[in-house]
Amino acid sequence: MDLDRALSISAAGMAAQSARLRVVAENIANRDSTGNAPGAEPYRRKTVTFASRLDRALGVETVRVARVGRDNSAFPERFEPSHPAADERGYVRTPNVDGLVENMDMREANRSYTANLAVLETTRGMLMRAIEALR
Amino acid sequence: MDLLRSGPVALAEQRLHWLDGRQRLLAANIANADTPGYRARDAVPFSEILARRVARPAMAATDARHLMPAGGANRGLVSAVSERTPNGNAVSIDEQAIRIAENDQSHAMTMGLHRKYLALFRTALGRP
Repeated sequence: MDLDRALSISAAGMAAQSARLRVVAENIANRDSTGNAPGAEPYRRKTVTFASRLDRALGVETVRVARVGRDNSAFPERFEPSHPAADERGYVRTPNVDGLVENMDMREANRSYTANLAVLETTRGMLMRAIEALR
Repeated sequence: MDLLRSGPVALAEQRLHWLDGRQRLLAANIANADTPGYRARDAVPFSEILARRVARPAMAATDARHLMPAGGANRGLVSAVSERTPNGNAVSIDEQAIRIAENDQSHAMTMGLHRKYLALFRTALGRP
């Protein structure tokens, strides 16, 4: 039945957005995770990519997380000679996590999750209305 | 008179079927609102499908070299793109939300009409 399929598509969308939110949480939690030996790499920001997947059983394109990748941008440096991870010049490499970018990503994930939830509610309403016809 | 094969009941059935399919498409659009390269799609308008069914007979292939339109009348999709983000995604959540609200409203109306129509017969039979 088509409405059941619509429900599972929305559920797939919500699962994908949750996975994205989880990665954002990881990034923010590790915002200050530097290495603990001279020259060691700090935490590298993770990225999420989505891909639509043609579900042959449903005959529609649902969504899934394609890959959790790594952000290859350069690490910012901070002058702190007393830090255990400081190199010979006294600089510490810090994670390439930008709070603003993560915040934006989080809001977008939240917005998309809410949209999927709203679709789910609407579809459920339609389903209930169809069931009402049996009375 | 066959109550279920003709008239409002049959029409309501077709309409509900179309609304269900459309809801599925719109749900897929919202689920893919952040997928790079995804383009929003929508169902062919119901009026068009109805007109096709009523007025135009299906094309007949009388030769092996005749080309037939891909898919049936129901499976047609139209593009519903109004804006495009830098990563190639073309789904406007606001616009899709409006379409879903519209779909929900049509569904409520169709179910209401269906119920009222059957109530007519119930009244005629003298049952409350």
